[in-house]
Amino acid sequence: MTHAADLADRLTEIVGPRGVLRRPGELVVYRSDGLPGYSKQPRLAVFPRTRDELVAVVRLLAEHGVPFVPRGAGTGLSGGALADDVVLVGLNRLTRILSIDPVERLAVVEPGVVNVSLTRAATPYGLHYAPDPSSQAACTIGGNVAENAGGPHCLKYGVTLNHVRAVTAILPDGEIVRLGSAEGEADGYDLLGAFIGSEGCFGIALDVTVRLSPNPQAIRTLLADFTSVDAAARATSEIIASGIVPAALEMMDGATIRAVEASIYAAGYPVDAEAILLIELDGLEAGLEADVARIEGMCAAAGARTVRIARDDAERARLWQGRKKAFGAMGRVSSHLVVQDAVIPRTRLPDVLALIREIAERQRITVCNVFHAGDGNLHPNIGYDANNPDEQARVHAAMREIMSACVAAGGTITGEHGIGLDKLDYMSLIFSEDSLAAMCRLRDVFDPEHRANPGKVVPVHSCREWHGAPKAAWSA
Amino acid sequence: MTVPMSATSSPAVEQTASASTTPSSPPLRPTTTAEVREIVDDAIAHNTPVRIVGRGTWLDAGRPVEATRQLSLEGLTGIVDYTPGDLTLTARAGTTLAEIARATAEHGQWLALAPWGGDDGSLGATAATATAGPMSGALGTPRDILIGIEAVAGSGELVRGGGRVVKNVAGFDLTRLMVGAWGTLGILTEVSVRLRGLPEQEATLALPLPNAPAAVADVVRHLRSAPIAPLAIEMVSATLAARLGLGQQPVVITRLAGNADAVSAQRVALGAFGDVMDVSDGVWTTVRTADPIQATVVRFSSTVARFPEVWLAADRLAVAGDGHVHATVLRSSARVVLPHNEGAPTDAALELLRGASRDTRIFERLPRALWPVLAPTRAADRLSQGVRSAFDPHRLLNRGILGETHA
Repeated sequence: MTHAADLADRLTEIVGPRGVLRRPGELVVYRSDGLPGYSKQPRLAVFPRTRDELVAVVRLLAEHGVPFVPRGAGTGLSGGALADDVVLVGLNRLTRILSIDPVERLAVVEPGVVNVSLTRAATPYGLHYAPDPSSQAACTIGGNVAENAGGPHCLKYGVTLNHVRAVTAILPDGEIVRLGSAEGEADGYDLLGAFIGSEGCFGIALDVTVRLSPNPQAIRTLLADFTSVDAAARATSEIIASGIVPAALEMMDGATIRAVEASIYAAGYPVDAEAILLIELDGLEAGLEADVARIEGMCAAAGARTVRIARDDAERARLWQGRKKAFGAMGRVSSHLVVQDAVIPRTRLPDVLALIREIAERQRITVCNVFHAGDGNLHPNIGYDANNPDEQARVHAAMREIMSACVAAGGTITGEHGIGLDKLDYMSLIFSEDSLAAMCRLRDVFDPEHRANPGKVVPVHSCREWHGAPKAAWSA
Repeated sequence: MTVPMSATSSPAVEQTASASTTPSSPPLRPTTTAEVREIVDDAIAHNTPVRIVGRGTWLDAGRPVEATRQLSLEGLTGIVDYTPGDLTLTARAGTTLAEIARATAEHGQWLALAPWGGDDGSLGATAATATAGPMSGALGTPRDILIGIEAVAGSGELVRGGGRVVKNVAGFDLTRLMVGAWGTLGILTEVSVRLRGLPEQEATLALPLPNAPAAVADVVRHLRSAPIAPLAIEMVSATLAARLGLGQQPVVITRLAGNADAVSAQRVALGAFGDVMDVSDGVWTTVRTADPIQATVVRFSSTVARFPEVWLAADRLAVAGDGHVHATVLRSSARVVLPHNEGAPTDAALELLRGASRDTRIFERLPRALWPVLAPTRAADRLSQGVRSAFDPHRLLNRGILGETHA
């Protein structure tokens, strides 16, 4: 049994009085992450400022056998960073960029470095950090590693996994390990690959070595507008099948366009369109116009009313801002929002989007679609009133139907947001009991006591030797 | 059930220090995942370690394996799922890369793995050994290109990681874990990959590579910052250049791709380096398949800053060992290939191989006796041992291939 106040005192000795929260009133703000609808209150929260403090915190928690949840900026969309009566370890004060090496095109950062700050720091060298989640102005590299985060430009440049070369991690038992290699090829099992996307269940990154990418010589951003979602979906499938790999290919439907245009993020999207595609091509200047022309042609053939090309960086930034802040803009429409993250084969976009529309009509709910069309990564989101139990029930039923439709189309349940708490129930739709049991054993290797982010990712009942997520045993 | 299995025999395993058992019975040749499972279940029941030989194209790679049975994946072939518009493909593990290349080329697509060793090898073995090739710096390694796997774990369980879509973070990443595990966690039975559209145009250009360290560094720096987006930049030593018909001195070969405008602009950009020469795209296949049948193959993986130095050291090693070297500029990785007939490379070469180096040395192939001398285990740490136990608790699959110890 651990006495919470005693533990808080010991943590305070490590991080100072301003680094520990213990009163319920102070902890309320950590009850949810970017996905409203889940609420779990941590017993304590601790915010180390340095690597040494973080190491000492994790070792103290190990000594007391206390479960904990690592948390970056809390922008996640799966309930993954929620701590249910355990200790929340906030990493957002570990914000130092330790090095940028323009020759090797590598940066070493602490886990709390904000995604876009790294790109800003790399800009003087003509470099950037490629993965660009929509929350990049707030989310942290440590959180990106935990979730294997994506973003619009991952279509061409790959997700977090493809950009992380090495991680120094502290395991839940306090051991420090080096995964991957910053100096060259790594050898042996790809433990780094296993760590990335492990949603905080395998340990905490102390530092992350990432690749920086050269800025492209030229960029063209196209806005194609359509009078139906189906036409935009067909254009997407055509573009992907053509073999041209756009840097990004995003779709927004009419409801989303109108929510954005009514908000402070208005980007000048045509409000009478039923769908737009935001298509970015980049690379060498030579040859880019030819690809732009081909894509314009494909959009026109699929029924685009107009295809507009951003004239300058300012217009380009504005077009992107509308896309990246679309979730925020929807806050104006409803008090609650659920968002899914299924991925489907790209040829199935037209029929799955039609199916989603059908489900929405039948359940009498409004689904907005704003998503990474080029990857087939859907983000249907549904605004609702959580105080209306009937509406809430219909929303939940629709979510399950949509997920089942995506799985039936050959897809997966999450492309970039992670399982967290939100998608635990869907895991058995795509993984057999054997696969889930193997995943449990993999977690056991890193965290035999399941103290790191307990109860997330793999349903506890699938872990053959486990019968419940460990809880902290707090004494009165 | 048609799998030829020796139902009861469990011959004693030979456990000498440096030599592996050579199974005398013909390899087991399953044709379905279910048959692979039966073989693993039988191996567990009789405690008979199994060597996975894929299609048998690369049998001397990796450390000596201790096994009483061999399992060939030559019968587990065929493309399971290929919708060209999705640019993804799923095939059974024994499918050759050549078969995949044929099927995808019909739709103007390709699987951009192109590993060392050519296209006779299987998709499964390429994934299991994480073998990359000259285009990996631009287009990714198996780690980047695989999107899902199905495998029979050493525990007998049928496990799946990832899926058939290009983006997927559901569950812990069993796909990455199996890539490069050399079959020690599970026998891959099915592999899903992402594809690319074939470039509209391609061109391969060669330019001479100077010998002086500073000049090499210059060329590398300029190539890395030139306005080109090559699929590959490979430096080849003089002996290999001669075999490619490119003269008697080291050269850099660069593969350009894109639409017509892009290729011609890159050609002009490369022209700034001096004498460039158009060569056949076929040189890439030759480089990939240039290893002699018996060879010592070592990769030196370095930083960008040290790469020119590593290249020159690797070249000295190749000359001393009567072999050749080629280096993937976009990965800062030099691959030294030394032929050997009876036993080991020369003392001089051995000396260089042993030499202190800050660079990562990855041994692909060595004479049997040299493995314990040069290449200690690469899976001895607690986590790696734990991962092995989690998937292959009885240490039945490719036992010893990572140099790992076992109880």
